[in-house]
Amino acid sequence: MSERIPEHPILGVQKKGRVVSFTLDGKTLQGCEGEPIAAALKVNGVMVHRYTQKQHRPRGIFCAIGRCTDCVMIVDGVPNTRTCITPLREGMKIQTQYGVSAVPFDDGKPTAAPKK
Amino acid sequence: MNQVNDRNRDIGPFVPQPDDDQIICRCEEVTKGEIRRAVHDGMWTITEVRRCLRTGMGLCQGQTCAKLVKRIVAAELHIPQSELEPATSRAPMRPIEMRVFANEDGEVKTDE
Amino acid sequence: MQRFDLIVVGAGPAGLSAAIEAAEKGMRVIVFDENAKPGGQLFKQIHKFFGSKEHRARVRGFVIGQQLLEEADRAGVQVVLDATVIGLYQDKEIVVKIRDEIHHLKGDAILIATGASENMVPFDGWTLPGVMGAGAAQTLMNLHGVLPGKRVLMLGTGNVGLVVSFQLLQCGCEVVALADAAPAIGGYGVHAAKVARCGVPFYLSHTIREAEGTDHVTGVTIAKVDEHFQFIPGTEKHFDVDTICVAVGLSPMSQLLKMAGCSMVDDPKRGGQVPVCDEFGATSIPGIYCAGDVSGIEEASSAMIEGRMAGEAIARYLGYIPEADCKQAEKQLERGLFQLRRGMFAPGRKGTKQETTDEGIRLSQTLLTKGYVADDEIERFPGVTHRVGVHPVIECTQNIPCNPCQDVCPKHCISIGENITSLPTVVLDSTCINCGMCVAGCSGQAIFLIDEDKGDGTAEITVPYEFLPLPSEGDTGTALGRDGQPVCGASVVRVRRSSAFDKTNLLTISVPKEYAMKARFFKRCG
Repeated sequence: MSERIPEHPILGVQKKGRVVSFTLDGKTLQGCEGEPIAAALKVNGVMVHRYTQKQHRPRGIFCAIGRCTDCVMIVDGVPNTRTCITPLREGMKIQTQYGVSAVPFDDGKPTAAPKK
Repeated sequence: MNQVNDRNRDIGPFVPQPDDDQIICRCEEVTKGEIRRAVHDGMWTITEVRRCLRTGMGLCQGQTCAKLVKRIVAAELHIPQSELEPATSRAPMRPIEMRVFANEDGEVKTDE
Repeated sequence: MQRFDLIVVGAGPAGLSAAIEAAEKGMRVIVFDENAKPGGQLFKQIHKFFGSKEHRARVRGFVIGQQLLEEADRAGVQVVLDATVIGLYQDKEIVVKIRDEIHHLKGDAILIATGASENMVPFDGWTLPGVMGAGAAQTLMNLHGVLPGKRVLMLGTGNVGLVVSFQLLQCGCEVVALADAAPAIGGYGVHAAKVARCGVPFYLSHTIREAEGTDHVTGVTIAKVDEHFQFIPGTEKHFDVDTICVAVGLSPMSQLLKMAGCSMVDDPKRGGQVPVCDEFGATSIPGIYCAGDVSGIEEASSAMIEGRMAGEAIARYLGYIPEADCKQAEKQLERGLFQLRRGMFAPGRKGTKQETTDEGIRLSQTLLTKGYVADDEIERFPGVTHRVGVHPVIECTQNIPCNPCQDVCPKHCISIGENITSLPTVVLDSTCINCGMCVAGCSGQAIFLIDEDKGDGTAEITVPYEFLPLPSEGDTGTALGRDGQPVCGASVVRVRRSSAFDKTNLLTISVPKEYAMKARFFKRCG
């Protein structure tokens, strides 16, 4: 889905932290230490950060600077953590957020946007 | 008189629109139809709509939807957007945990 | 309670500039910023800035950011990061959250330089992952080195939409199209032209009908709108994309000022709710000042001057400098700001339809609707001339505040004059030495060095090139026109890189001479 920019024509090769492991819903993934959790998830092809409370719709990165709070997830047990401004650390436990909990909704599957 | 204050003014009936189920306030998942309906139910100011539907009262504090809600309410009332007073600004300006809000500490450490 | 002479909220271009000015005058200054890094949005700006020398024109935004931080450091400005100001009160008291703690501070003066937030426009599916602000895309690629997506549609053709589209191309993303509900492109024509010559189509009077996908964006449908912005049935166009970027303007983040009780006004020309303030940013509450986008949406260049002006005014307000001493400095700053606020895109001219340049030349309508100047329009602009031998062709056709081209040419071949928004002209009887400084120095990438007739039926065109991989001498490929469409075969005869060019590499391509005034970009075979 998405990947790192190996070399940028203006910015060159970006300095990144060491590669660390973390988990998303129990699955082990890798990212660079210190980069926002959202960036690491993006590189791993993860688009959905949470499902909303009322309509159970998927949300992901929207503003990427900590303002819109769309990208919040459960990080090390703390819900509503803004993943776009929270730096990734070794061994972080990240969970998809359903409403404000880590428990998927009864309907299990995410609901698609309503079609007319 | 400011047209928002003249509550006897006839703003016409609520007419359903095809995009009424569109989300406007992303945080609180409030739709365009709900906002339009609230205006016809008598919520003529941003503050009233907010208290009624919680638009702009979620985690982002109206960062994204403030302008959108204003546009919808103004259109429904047939008034220019500038006649609508924006929502009150209050502390805390950003979402904050109560344990932090109550944790008043001394001085900001400076390197002086 | 801790006291400071000046408390600045926001460490972007305006806040830092004000803090530097105040600290240099001996004031005790502290700057709070809610982000983990200072500089505001400057570090995401990788293009060369407009303006003139005094506005640091021709320097890339992130480099200006580094320069500002160094200046702030030298001046002894304290910047506290991850510090969110959550309240501002009338008696100039602020409440700031730093990590897990709340602090109360008092300032003899307060400067609010909180900048702006992105506007949004709702459409079906706009909450799907993959729909994001253009700023988010910029943050991901330029700060974190991560691609926002592979195939992107950009909604909005203001400068943000245009600049971010080009940045996406620079990272190797495919930009499938730019759409805008307005009938004309909102940003600088030169920014649009850079994108158009890469082959990206513009759809004006079009907006998004629907973002498609179940869990994330898989496609988008745009459709044409009438003059009342209603969709016209049957005009739908579909694109397979994984990302939709929204760049539909900015709103001042003025909530702290409103909260303190400053008089506010709803001014669409300044972007929304803004404080009532004088030219130095003094609000209705003595001692509370504002600068930068929070007082009206403009550019980083003007934010820096506004910040310095506010810094001066605050120093005067608190008695750090005598009245008389400010006059000279203030005059110069005001002049600098005045220059930036002239031309076609001046804040005062927002929303007005313009037919001609200040020189009385008919504007290119193709530029306003498709993003490029058409072949039959380009000849009427003063920077486009024909000569024997290598000479600059300046495809700068709108009055924008920018004049580095006049300064960089060592042979003074290019003239703009006193007014920095005038169109550049080629000086009669000047001798071009083919040094390439104008091509690399033009922030709008609108200057080309052309030898229209090499004598062997070919012409050579030198174009600015900010992409990877950089082609090599001998490479063959296709020359693209201003519209991004193939015009003829081309081969690379020279590739120039130099620290003086600041990462804008120069590619000289050889084409049949009849295409000298048509070919403006190069695409390698395969």
